[in-house]
Amino acid sequence: MLWYKSWLETRWRFLIGFALLLMMACSSVASYPRVARLLPDALPLVRDVDTTSVVGRQILRAIDAQSTYRGFVWWQWVQDNLSHTWTLLAILLGTGGLLAQTRGGAAIFTLSLPVSRGDLLRTRATTALAELFVLALVPSLLPPLLSPLIGQHYSLVDALVHALCVFVGGTVFFSLATLLSTVFSDLWRPALLACVVAVALFLVEPVLLGDAPYGIVGAMTAEAYFRSGALPWPGLVVSAAASVAMLYAAALNINQLEV
Amino acid sequence: MSDALAIETIDLRKRYDGTDALCGLDLRVPQGSIAGFLGRNGAGKTTTMKILLGMAKPTSGVARVLGLDATRGDASVEIRRRAGFVSEEKDLYDYMTVDEIVRFTAAFFPTWRRDLEARYRRAFALTSDARVKTLSRGARSKLALLLALCRGAELLLLDEPTAGLDPAAAHDVLQRLVSHAAADGVTIFFSSHQLAEVDQIADHVAIVDRGRIAVAGALDELREQHRRVQFVFDGAAPAASFRSTGVTRVDREGRVMTVLCRDGAESIVAEARALGPVSVDVMPVTLQDIFLDTVTAEEE
Repeated sequence: MLWYKSWLETRWRFLIGFALLLMMACSSVASYPRVARLLPDALPLVRDVDTTSVVGRQILRAIDAQSTYRGFVWWQWVQDNLSHTWTLLAILLGTGGLLAQTRGGAAIFTLSLPVSRGDLLRTRATTALAELFVLALVPSLLPPLLSPLIGQHYSLVDALVHALCVFVGGTVFFSLATLLSTVFSDLWRPALLACVVAVALFLVEPVLLGDAPYGIVGAMTAEAYFRSGALPWPGLVVSAAASVAMLYAAALNINQLEV
Repeated sequence: MSDALAIETIDLRKRYDGTDALCGLDLRVPQGSIAGFLGRNGAGKTTTMKILLGMAKPTSGVARVLGLDATRGDASVEIRRRAGFVSEEKDLYDYMTVDEIVRFTAAFFPTWRRDLEARYRRAFALTSDARVKTLSRGARSKLALLLALCRGAELLLLDEPTAGLDPAAAHDVLQRLVSHAAADGVTIFFSSHQLAEVDQIADHVAIVDRGRIAVAGALDELREQHRRVQFVFDGAAPAASFRSTGVTRVDREGRVMTVLCRDGAESIVAEARALGPVSVDVMPVTLQDIFLDTVTAEEE
């Protein structure tokens, strides 16, 4: 029944996020014909972009990536809409839990049940991770399914690989929010702090690490897979290890919690 | 009632941020008893209950519940399987309906009493599909009690169980607690600021003051030990200091002197006769007398 409780506590965040990602996936596919028409006109405009600047390089990277339909889906859907929105949802699903419930007092009722605190954290984390897996996987299946409607093809394998990379690479943000939720008793500080870390990482990592294989954002967007077919294993391992470490620290914090 | 203890604490101490919440609490609650746990706000009642259920860790000392060490994680899970708890705030999951929270809670207890659930649902007039957040304070208290009583627990720890109930509902709940204890041999350990209701249903009482037990024992024995002796004089009651042991309080008002004592009134009566009272009455005390006597004496 702890699963049921965890589901009730997270269902609205999950369902709203699920609907949002489904709409974004549909919208990404539906916008391709218009982008494809505009792209030839846009290319001469960016020819003179200053490639020594970060912004200039980004513009050229975007134009270059979207020169094919596969690149368009990766750029618009995977590395933009899915990665960013999923990260936000991971943070939102990571917040809350036992410490936050001490404010309303329901934590005492929870702690009066014959379950260990470890079980409480494990169940909540597993429920949220299952929801995050669905949030990564199901909307990612839409591009392969909808592409024939606009006369295009998108590989199901690509969709699955990118969904898995977003999930494994991005769990670090969920774990961070979970850990912060065992430190702060409100919902906002863990969410805001995790968002600040996520935004900083999304902005700074590409500049600092470039194409280095062990970056967390690089693992989520799986640019290496898109460009060369190689999975970003080092980044995925770094993210998974950091996630496990933070969830372990969260479990230690919860065991020390006194209500 | 057997000689076995449902709850036993030995020199239990708890320190929060530099403040001593418990300072060597020695508590013994016999199995099958209805034990009232009294004390002023901040005396350590809720802290004691939380330690007994493994929600808080003691700084030192022993806490045993149903023979299990409450400070060990695995044992505290077993304690919570065999004990029901109602918190002072009666906070439950606001997002669940009455039906949902009953089904949710029942799933954790193989000994869940469906018969009692049906009976208390009817008696407490709880609407199945009402959301917990929409319940009145009284209805929430009743729901919290239902969730504790139906667990099939051997021990009930109730922190202010009648808080939020009107006098009629409070009376009804107290009667149900007595019936429950009598029918199933359940030990009930409850805190309350309502001395009258403790007096009404408890057979044992423990008064905690500033983190330690000041008075504890069977209520009948405590009543037997304590006496109020009232002397009326012709004129103003004289100032007198008694040599007899057991005098805990002397009050004077006009012609009347009232002495509260713990260890028999005979020597006090004999001593006071020398002062020439016109009348002497030895009266039994109420729980309120014992409580006020205890906490005021500790204060002094």
